[in-house]
Amino acid sequence: MRHFIFSSVVAVCLLSPTAFAASVSALVKDHKGKPLKDAVVTVYLSGNQKTKVQPAKTAIDQIDKEFVPHVLVVAKGSPVYFPNKDDIRHHVYSFSKPKKFELPLYKGTPAKPVVFDKSGVVKLGCNIHDWMLGYIYVVDTAHYGITDKAGKSQVSGLPVGDVKVMVWHPRMKGVPEKTEKQVKLSASGVNSVEFQIKARKAFRARRAPRAGGRKY
Amino acid sequence: MQLHFKSFRNRLLVLFLGLIAVVQVAAFFIVNTAATNSARNQIDSALITTSGSFKELLEERTSSLLVAARLLSGDFAFKKAYATGDNKTILSALNNHRERIGADMMFLVSLDEQVIADTLHPEKHGAKFAYPGLIEAAEDNEYGEASAVLLVDGRPVQIVVVPLLTPTPDAWICVGFTIDDRMAKGLKEISNSEISFVTKSTKADWITVATTLPQQNISQLKSNLQSQHWKDNISTIFNLSDEQYVSLVVPLEKSSNRVLAVLQRSLDMALAPTRRLSLLLAGLFTLGLALSAVAAVIIARRVTRPVLTLVDGAHRVKEGDFKEPVIVQQQDELGELANSFNTMMSGLAERDRVRDLLGKVVSMEIAEELLSKDIELGGEEREVTVLFSDVRNFTQLCENRSPQEVLSILNAYLTRVSDVIESQGGVVDKFIGDAVMSLFGAPLNHADDGARAMRTATGMCEALKDLNKEFREQGKPELAIGIGINTAVVVAGNMGSQTRLNYTVIGDGVNLASRLEGLTKHYGVPVVVSRETRDAAPEFIYRELDLVCVKGKTEPVAIYQPIVCDENTQSETMETLEQYQVCLQHYRNRDWDSAIKCFVELSKRYPEDNLYQLYLARLESFKANPPPDDWNGVFEFKQK
Repeated sequence: MRHFIFSSVVAVCLLSPTAFAASVSALVKDHKGKPLKDAVVTVYLSGNQKTKVQPAKTAIDQIDKEFVPHVLVVAKGSPVYFPNKDDIRHHVYSFSKPKKFELPLYKGTPAKPVVFDKSGVVKLGCNIHDWMLGYIYVVDTAHYGITDKAGKSQVSGLPVGDVKVMVWHPRMKGVPEKTEKQVKLSASGVNSVEFQIKARKAFRARRAPRAGGRKY
Repeated sequence: MQLHFKSFRNRLLVLFLGLIAVVQVAAFFIVNTAATNSARNQIDSALITTSGSFKELLEERTSSLLVAARLLSGDFAFKKAYATGDNKTILSALNNHRERIGADMMFLVSLDEQVIADTLHPEKHGAKFAYPGLIEAAEDNEYGEASAVLLVDGRPVQIVVVPLLTPTPDAWICVGFTIDDRMAKGLKEISNSEISFVTKSTKADWITVATTLPQQNISQLKSNLQSQHWKDNISTIFNLSDEQYVSLVVPLEKSSNRVLAVLQRSLDMALAPTRRLSLLLAGLFTLGLALSAVAAVIIARRVTRPVLTLVDGAHRVKEGDFKEPVIVQQQDELGELANSFNTMMSGLAERDRVRDLLGKVVSMEIAEELLSKDIELGGEEREVTVLFSDVRNFTQLCENRSPQEVLSILNAYLTRVSDVIESQGGVVDKFIGDAVMSLFGAPLNHADDGARAMRTATGMCEALKDLNKEFREQGKPELAIGIGINTAVVVAGNMGSQTRLNYTVIGDGVNLASRLEGLTKHYGVPVVVSRETRDAAPEFIYRELDLVCVKGKTEPVAIYQPIVCDENTQSETMETLEQYQVCLQHYRNRDWDSAIKCFVELSKRYPEDNLYQLYLARLESFKANPPPDDWNGVFEFKQK
């Protein structure tokens, strides 16, 4: 059985007479009205109003055998550090197309960060801890945000005019382009966008593998 | 031997053996049925247990498969191989892993259910996965795992699916193990039952895909499945090669096509110990029956032998033989019966002796009368003819003779007289010295009691004649007797005291009979009877003797002499009797002269007849001293 979850993003257009004074406020919910956390909202400008993508140094921690944060959004070309805060080694890897890499068993923070130079979803795993799962969403835009517990995200510093708003979520089925929306931003007022996205059922790997199949 | 069922012993035997046989046979059938049922139930429950452990085994196998598959899915090298996206590499890695765990097949399926690699059919790369249900089940599972029994290329395969985690599910890894004869064999070793896996073909025929059954039974299993009514998990009997198998059909869970496991145990084999038990039981019961028969014969004999002895005793009693007591050694009820029987026998012997003695002391008839009812004082009125007889001049006869001689003479006389009385159905009431009092009409009466008395009188005279002849020869004195007979209503019954009593008769009539006997001497005739007796026996000829008034009586009595016993009168004719009657009439008319003339005439003709002399003497006396004017012809006796 597949789950189809529809989310909505409400963009709020703030009153701003100047360029890049608009903003989008998004609320992502599934069809049951459940807000989706960790949904990445990206805004793409139209025409020549392209802002330069600004890579920035950032990090994704490994704390208590989990990736923190669970979802990290970075601009294309950003170097990301993988500080290991646990007292054991981790073996971070990715087989995702935008960035395949492997940080064989290490402690502390590897000296060289991993640079994510292609946009897309990079799934992070740990070779020795099956349940460890993290996402790095590499975007090709300067305008993005990530939803909080309430499913809300606000992206500001946007120009007035037509923009393309997309939403991505780790459990989303299909590609973000399928649910992208064109929004005409106004300098003042509320710019809201609603998304309904298909999402897979939450998958959980066993945190500690069981000894066998016995049920008694 | 011919059986006589009327015989008590044989009936007892038949009853005994019949009962025992019924009980034995019933017991045998009950035990046999119970044993068979219990064996059947045991097989049933064993099969159900087997089916339980069979399912358990399958689950365990699934679990082991899952563990193996999980290890594969977590294998980093495989993940790396998968990440290359190179189909050949992936297939080769998949085969490598299949070999590691000894699986029969492995498939790698993408999340959108396309075959990435298929170790059975490498050419299927990119095709739609044939078992979408399996993937759906995995998607529904919390950990993305599922298992099922599927038909792959027509063979049932136990298949598990786990996700390939990178680290989220990126593809589905399916691992399959074929269910084959080897697996069935392995399960048979554990479950001790024949195991077959069957499934439906496209033609809806049952096909056996794996089995522990021998080749020749496979088609029979198929026909049984098709023809018989069976239900899942409920045992049924299937016939395979003329052998009965208790069969349990267990559908395999999570199988899309219907794959069944048929568990079977041979009923005949399971019943073999029961059959041996049945044989043993039959033997035991037969032996029991034989022993019972012997016991029954012995018991029947023990019971019937004393019964036969008693029967023999009863026969002897019937014959009047009371001498030998019945001998039964047993101390039981039959012994008691025999004792009672012996007591009864001695009682009967005693009674017989009493009866004999009584018959001697009193007459046989009175003895019977006494024995037949309760003896109590009291009597009843009856018409009886009483006969008194007496030996004349007995006192004189006793003189100069020893008492023994007198007793011998008397006993000889009384014996003869008694015989006569009894021969006529009379009863000797008592002996009074030389006198005999006898009764006719009590205790038993006859229509002709008077005549019997008359015949007795005649018989007594005859008997006396014979006796006198003997006495003459022996030099003993001859006897003469007088007989008086009267018929009257008297009281007959037991008289005396409570402790000592006699059966006798009393009344005037009895006294009169005695008086009449006393008159015989006076009239010089052997027998004197009353008018009542004459009337009671009219067939005899009588001569009216007189009209008398005996002592102590006021009523005159007409007395008669029957023409019996007396040789003197017997020679006289009827004409003489008539003339005598005329003479008597003259006498009664006080015509003394005519009467004298008449009697003189008769006495001349019959000088031996004392009666005529008696009347002539009386007439002479009356002529001289005539009786009073009111004389009515009655002669009054002043003494006895």
